[in-house]
Amino acid sequence: MAVTVAVKRTRACATLLAKVRDIMAQEGITPSTLHAIKLKLVALAARGALFPAADFAMPEAQGRTHPLLVEDNDGLGLYLTINLPGKEAAPHDHGIWCINAAIAGRERHVFYRRTDSGATPGHAEVVRLGEVIVQPGTGMAMSDHDIHATEVLGDEPAIGLALYGYATARFPSVTWYHPAFGTVRATPSRRHATGALPGTAA
Amino acid sequence: MSGTVATYRVAIGNAGATIDCCADETVLQAAIAAGIDYPYACASGNCATCVSTLRAGKVDMLPHGDAALSMAQRADGKVLACRARPRTDLDILWLGRGRK
Repeated sequence: MAVTVAVKRTRACATLLAKVRDIMAQEGITPSTLHAIKLKLVALAARGALFPAADFAMPEAQGRTHPLLVEDNDGLGLYLTINLPGKEAAPHDHGIWCINAAIAGRERHVFYRRTDSGATPGHAEVVRLGEVIVQPGTGMAMSDHDIHATEVLGDEPAIGLALYGYATARFPSVTWYHPAFGTVRATPSRRHATGALPGTAA
Repeated sequence: MSGTVATYRVAIGNAGATIDCCADETVLQAAIAAGIDYPYACASGNCATCVSTLRAGKVDMLPHGDAALSMAQRADGKVLACRARPRTDLDILWLGRGRK
């Protein structure tokens, strides 16, 4: 009996998460292990035949997230994301580590560091540290409270894989920074939410 | 071309205020500049904190995520203030109360 692409994809995703679990069990999540996991995610993203366009609906607006493999409870979440040209996200941290790898298209990730003391509620200052362009053959990794902003470049949809330390339906509070306003805002934590919908990460 | 940008009047029902908003800025940007405590979090079309009812007028929407505003919500007159640029005078009402 022929094995479908969907079955092959699920197996490949399960294999990846098993390898990630091994790394986490042996060494935990560190900058070094995040890099090692990123390389594995980039390798999976390079297997384009596992992710045919026909299997993943395009966004109705400009950004859509498809769950690929989501572990139960506090487990990992692996997603395929599709963002159309111009789609952006202001500087934010997810409160949990994340790794992206491109299948197609180009997305700019700009990294920031918070510089104020946090003493004034609603106020924050951030400085730009640098950027990477995530495109096929590349990826990026962030620790729990790293801050990044994203923007799809060019005229082609940015399609990629996104791996988070928690499934998006169980995200901690996401903190959003607005350099133009000098403000910081947070969305509610989903850590103890019930009935939360998957696929709502930025 | 004169190079000038059109300015529209935006009535924000929750605040009991009417403010100016240029065609090249979002309703949220204009509200913040006017000192209005409009609810928001991401300010980039991802979280839906600023989802609002457009009671009158027309806007152009900047790119946003599907999860922040569905096509059905858009058809029902909902917009994201952080993504909405006015094309006419507006009458708008925010639906939520953001956390700071």
